[in-house]
Amino acid sequence: MTEARQNRLLRPETLTAIGLIVAATGFLIPTFDLRPISALLPAAMLIGLIVLSALLLVSDQRKAAAGEVAKPVSTAPGRVIGAFALIVGYAVATDLLGFYPSTVVIIPLVSAIFGYRSPLGLVIATAIVVGSIWLIFDFGMSQDFPAGRLWQD
Amino acid sequence: MYSDLLNALPEVFGLANFLAVIIGVIAGIVVGAMPGLSATMAISVLVPFTFGLEPLVALGLMAGIYNGAMYGGAIPAVLLRIPGTPAAVATTFDGYPMAQKGEGGFALQVAVVSSSIGGIASAFALMLLAPPLSRVTLLFGPAEVFWVAVFGLASIIFLLGGSPVKGLISACFGVFVSVIGSDPIFGSDRFTFGKLELLDGISIVILLVGLYALPPVIDLLETPLKTGVSEDKLGTEPIWKALPRMKGFWKTWLRGSFIGIWIGILPGAGGSMAAFMSYNEARRASKHPERWGEGEAEGVAAAETANNADTASALIPALTLGIPGTAVAAVMLGGLLVHGLQPGPMLFRDNPDVVFGFMWQFLFGAILLVLLGGSLATNSFARLLNLPRPLLGSIIIVLMLIGVYSIHGRMFDVYLMLGFGAVGWVMDKLKFPLPPVVLGLILGAFAEENLRLALRIGRGDWSVLFRNTTSLVLVALTIAVIVGPGLKQRILDARKARRQA
Repeated sequence: MTEARQNRLLRPETLTAIGLIVAATGFLIPTFDLRPISALLPAAMLIGLIVLSALLLVSDQRKAAAGEVAKPVSTAPGRVIGAFALIVGYAVATDLLGFYPSTVVIIPLVSAIFGYRSPLGLVIATAIVVGSIWLIFDFGMSQDFPAGRLWQD
Repeated sequence: MYSDLLNALPEVFGLANFLAVIIGVIAGIVVGAMPGLSATMAISVLVPFTFGLEPLVALGLMAGIYNGAMYGGAIPAVLLRIPGTPAAVATTFDGYPMAQKGEGGFALQVAVVSSSIGGIASAFALMLLAPPLSRVTLLFGPAEVFWVAVFGLASIIFLLGGSPVKGLISACFGVFVSVIGSDPIFGSDRFTFGKLELLDGISIVILLVGLYALPPVIDLLETPLKTGVSEDKLGTEPIWKALPRMKGFWKTWLRGSFIGIWIGILPGAGGSMAAFMSYNEARRASKHPERWGEGEAEGVAAAETANNADTASALIPALTLGIPGTAVAAVMLGGLLVHGLQPGPMLFRDNPDVVFGFMWQFLFGAILLVLLGGSLATNSFARLLNLPRPLLGSIIIVLMLIGVYSIHGRMFDVYLMLGFGAVGWVMDKLKFPLPPVVLGLILGAFAEENLRLALRIGRGDWSVLFRNTTSLVLVALTIAVIVGPGLKQRILDARKARRQA
């Protein structure tokens, strides 16, 4: 495969269209086990997704053939991946270690990593946010938060 | 019956009853402003606390929260492009660009005034039209309701602008998500893959937070540190000074109120659809449609009027027929039942003081919105933009988790939200419109249920969908919405070509 051809297949819209076709085809398989009337809407939507994604793919490849350069999805991919990883890490930590310990760590951590590094500001902000959450949700509404699977087990 | 309305008024002015509305409005604004927390969630949490309260105090709190949250949703929609409630999605289209231009304060003032006007119109509609309009909604059978859903979806795909292929992909995705869970008629599992958490389907809050909250948070963290905008750039000024700038909005307010009230009366449609339709109609009627989406204050007015005009009117079928127009109305029905108030025509006969008092509370809640929401919005919430972006991002991440976790009290929903967030971020970057996904989820299940009901009534004959005038009018409107923009463009191109020739 030549480099030009490889680049054409790595265009964001092309990749998205291929991903959609694969995912929609995968989801189409379970519809065969459903009653026809139950499968009607989901199958129609999945087939619609496949057809429309194919149209998107063709349209994007035409643009590529015409020499149109695809815009990059992100200007700072490292920061995006880092931000998403931190959010996923926070969710997993909440699940395993509990809501309050994870929250006390995540607020200053995210802020500091992404540029806000005033120690006093971070301490005050963390205390206000965590305190307000406790007061409103835990104390006021009796809302239970994850206590952490590690401690429960 | 209208004499009962006046007789109920003194009761509403009782200290406890009036205080309940005030507290409700403030609480509603706060809840609505927190991404992921909705009026439905707040009222659901509130209902158990109201056991020991007088019915009008409890209903006043609910009416206040509903009104306040509908406006509160506009605050993060304008300042952060995160709709605080599902109905505030359309507010982001022009509200956020206004905030980017340093007019966030004015956008919020337009939102609060428009919300109040929509709320007042809706309360009057509830007071005056509840009994006679209940007969009209009775005319809507499953076939008509199905076409209403199709019309709503077609409107948002084809009138929103941009690529129709991408719009359709978004809508297909939304409708597909709506069918996950138990089949509404046979109860068989669809795409649950053995996960009990998926049996009840996917809550719209999970999808909304994922699609609308996560991408902006990533954006907040992606771009280097900025400390928001200075106060003078927010454009915050006393609300009475901002009012003259809104004098040209009366047509939009009127149109938005009518659309909101009408959509509210239709069972299942809800504030999101009202806001989208009002926004689209206002843009179509505008002399400068090209400015829309780039910070047109009238766009905020259109969306906010309609989503608040939907509040009280959604209770018309709920109170008269026991059919909730929206999810919030359904929760409110639960609140009525807690107090032994059975919705239906008998409610008006047996408990006129409560039912009409409740209607007055909606009206006062809408009026209080300007006083409470106006000052809160301009003096407090607008300053959100001045928070350091990484700190704001980290706080929103925590709020997102709380909001999604508190729906069912399980981490599964949080992981699901993160999945939708990743999808939403890609869609956002590749310019796939997000509103059709949300509307697809709202209307997909609703359309399917009514389509299947219509087919059952017609014994499998598809012509049942085209048998009466209302259905045919809705079909014609749907075709017009699909064909209209293309046709209009062709006519404009032909005229331009003729002029050039």
